[in-house]
Amino acid sequence: MAMKDMTMVNEPQDMHRRPGVLWPTLITLATVFLMGGVAGYLDAHRADGGDGPSGLVAGGLVLLAGVGVMWLYVRRFPLFWQGWSRRKRLYTASIAGSVLLGLLTAILLRSGQADVTADPFFSNSALSPQIAILLALLWGAGISIAVFIYQRTIDDHEERAYLWAGLAGYYAFVIPAPMWWVLARADLAPPVDAMLLFGLTIITNALVYLWLKFR
Amino acid sequence: MNNQLKVLRAMRNWSQAELADRLDVSRQAVNAIETGKYDPSLPLAFKLARLFAMPIEEIFDDGHEGHDDGE
Repeated sequence: MAMKDMTMVNEPQDMHRRPGVLWPTLITLATVFLMGGVAGYLDAHRADGGDGPSGLVAGGLVLLAGVGVMWLYVRRFPLFWQGWSRRKRLYTASIAGSVLLGLLTAILLRSGQADVTADPFFSNSALSPQIAILLALLWGAGISIAVFIYQRTIDDHEERAYLWAGLAGYYAFVIPAPMWWVLARADLAPPVDAMLLFGLTIITNALVYLWLKFR
Repeated sequence: MNNQLKVLRAMRNWSQAELADRLDVSRQAVNAIETGKYDPSLPLAFKLARLFAMPIEEIFDDGHEGHDDGE
């Protein structure tokens, strides 16, 4: 009994607890908003002739700080994640990698465009060639690797959600795209915007996936 | 498809997360099976049967009475 009590006294309080959802969510949101705010402010400041680091550098530093804070939080629960199976570790790595890739893409998009007043995600304003090549490589290679790992590590409940979401995303492209194309050829609609269709596909995919996975 | 997963889990005093860890699936997968929103694949159903040391048909019920003799 005394040994047991001693063990319990010496054992860190968090050893058997699971990390909650609140703190990781707050850390992620704070990182994203702070990153966007700092990068946007600095880019606008520099465009007005001011000094200071570029939004890309500052945003990257905020991202690193956010990852560091998340790591400090997660490492308080060693037994929780050290007990994970190989599948779960790879799965989590693929998700975390995709999120980081998304954040990095957002910083690059924001910082790589010449017109800092234009919306970074929904405008077609000019990008510097270096940033454009980097973004294309990041998306092409990064997403391919993350999706390859993800698809090999999801359980079959998530696989079902992912497959149906993929099909819904496919329909969200193949139904409106030809409609828009023929209407545009008759001057009844503006020219086809590939990125708008891409956005529609991604949003449909995400909604169906989230519904099937978390309902 | 009806199933006894929630009862079997409660008898062992496991949380959904604990059962998910034992099956190496997500907690959402366990919840979806328990609430009948998702029927597991055959490999996962066998995994459940082995974990609870019961035949699959004692865990899952497809609503059909007796055995189908093909007539």
